[in-house]
Amino acid sequence: MDQIYNAIFIGSIYALFALGFTLVFSVLDILNLAHPALFTLGAFTALFAMQQGVPAGLAVLVAFVVCGVAGVILDRVAFAPLRRRNAPPLSAMISSIGVSLILIRLIQLKYGPDLQAYPAGSLPADVFTVAGLQLDTLRTVIIALAVGLMAALTFLVRRTRLGRELRALAENPRAARLLGIDVDRAIAATFFLSAGLGGVAGALYGFATNSPFSQMGLNFELKAFAVMVVGGMGSIPGAVLGAYLLSFGEVASLTFLPSELRDAFAFGLLFVVLVVRPSGILGQRAVDRV
Amino acid sequence: MDKRIFGALGALAITLAACGGTGNTGASTAPSASAAKKADIKVGLVISLTGVGNVYGPVQKNGAELAVSRINAAGGVNGANLVLVTDDDQSTTDGGVTAFRKQVGQDRVVAILGPTLSNTAVAAHPVAQSAQTPVIAISNTGDGIVGKCSWGTCDYIFRASLGESTAIPQTVNVAKTKLNVKSVVLMYAQDDKFSSDGFAIFKKNLESAGITIKKEIAFSKTDVDLSTQVTAALAESPDAIVDSSLAGPAILILKEVAKKKPGQLVIGGNGFNTPAIIASAGQAAEGAVSGTAWYLSNADPVNKDFVAAYKAKYNSDPDQFAAQAYSAIYILVDALKRTPNVTSVLHEKLRDQIELTTGVKTPLGEFSFNSSHDVNQKVYVVQVKGGLFTQIN
Repeated sequence: MDQIYNAIFIGSIYALFALGFTLVFSVLDILNLAHPALFTLGAFTALFAMQQGVPAGLAVLVAFVVCGVAGVILDRVAFAPLRRRNAPPLSAMISSIGVSLILIRLIQLKYGPDLQAYPAGSLPADVFTVAGLQLDTLRTVIIALAVGLMAALTFLVRRTRLGRELRALAENPRAARLLGIDVDRAIAATFFLSAGLGGVAGALYGFATNSPFSQMGLNFELKAFAVMVVGGMGSIPGAVLGAYLLSFGEVASLTFLPSELRDAFAFGLLFVVLVVRPSGILGQRAVDRV
Repeated sequence: MDKRIFGALGALAITLAACGGTGNTGASTAPSASAAKKADIKVGLVISLTGVGNVYGPVQKNGAELAVSRINAAGGVNGANLVLVTDDDQSTTDGGVTAFRKQVGQDRVVAILGPTLSNTAVAAHPVAQSAQTPVIAISNTGDGIVGKCSWGTCDYIFRASLGESTAIPQTVNVAKTKLNVKSVVLMYAQDDKFSSDGFAIFKKNLESAGITIKKEIAFSKTDVDLSTQVTAALAESPDAIVDSSLAGPAILILKEVAKKKPGQLVIGGNGFNTPAIIASAGQAAEGAVSGTAWYLSNADPVNKDFVAAYKAKYNSDPDQFAAQAYSAIYILVDALKRTPNVTSVLHEKLRDQIELTTGVKTPLGEFSFNSSHDVNQKVYVVQVKGGLFTQIN
């Protein structure tokens, strides 16, 4: 039981990270490799806010807004000029690596490369027991928040006007423009949401470990990418499913197999999924992607 | 691109060879030139200011610069000023070799401290060895750095940084005799050299001490969560969990252990010995045990003086890397004072004096080199008590 709780927690963090990644990819076909840097920025924004005395809950909100705005700026600086010139997606990817390096270096200049800690006593540390299962408030809140955010994002994409615009944009930018959709606004919204989610994920993960550091986002990059591919490139529910599949795979292999084999098993599992369904679990070819 | 770099290195090597040739003839003229005003003594510092090692380089620089400024303020080395020549090794072997070549060929330093990382050291030390320039390694803990070196004769290389192979046996000994540990679960980051080396040393020493290893659990240094591994470790109900990893994973483990089983003893390697452990893990760090070359709250007067001066200058607590860099400068100066008319070319005499280093008072305690040029100092086995590292041996 303990291990299932662990798997749900790890999966939730993977999923939150992968969501932002997926959102940008699904709408714009860009692999935004600056996402890990925005994730890190989220953790450090929360740190900065909390050092000024802001409570943890509000600090997460601050991280959402700051990272969201940073995402929009990122688009204007790194992606928009390339888009205007019809550059191939690979150029955008390289451009995002550049931004990522700059952002991480800036964080290092302010906080150094060492592990940091949130102000003492600013995070809940209590543990409670439900039916013999040891849970702690912080992780449980994080799981609930992650699931809530995933649901909110799905609702937003499926049921709102903005969601319709995003889906139209994902299908065909030119047609979307012809239909009277403000494409620039929709792109900005995509980046705001994606980066904001990344920032929240960073802040929450920072809370869970209480040791934010400048390279923390990089540990997620490969796994989030794998999760995205397995879930089906650009599929939001797919990314969530992929994240839990990976986390349960990791935990199961650790419980039943020698620990050295964990990654081999978890990624082997993902490989099998891809052999059976080459476009990912919920992957569809550009028809109804978002 | 590659060709150009090789070309540049080749040219540098030729320059270097030329310098080495003329160096000996310059020996007789140098002292007379400095008769009026004593010439500065140049000491090289090669550290990782960029790249993966940049967690350590900047504090090493702080430590060394603090020592140099204090020594100069107190009259220098027999009246001569100490000048630190700092170069970045970029955390790479190429960067280390280039920096070493520059320092022995162009700057003509009397000795070099560094480089930061062990694999850079293995590549860069031969440069100093062939130019007969003494080196004091200040942060290399791997095997084959001094004594019997994998790359050949290394009689100009010294080490002031305590290796895990010296510290861990002491930790295991204290765990057995003082903490009465009979069984452990051994956890380690399998994709990190420092951690997996530490794992092998722990395993060997635990076995020879007759302590049962109930389970070995490997994880990755990039793992974002270790709750699964900790749950599995606690299921074995060992007397202690032994973790060989850097501070990041160690914090995750300590926090999980404290949540699931408060009071469970956790023993670690040198990765545990950083203030970040206490700051980030907080209450969860209480009781954690590790063996170390230095700890912040050591009440030894030389250490207290160092900590206070460091805090006054940099407005933060020093760490072990700062302490070792600071100590190495004092160890070198001790030898320089015993080497008459030291210039950049009397390397052999300086080497002989460094060999004779005994009982130099440093923040690490009384420091000597053993016959294989390695550290001879006390190992402090420390436990976190009331938010402070406290010595228990």
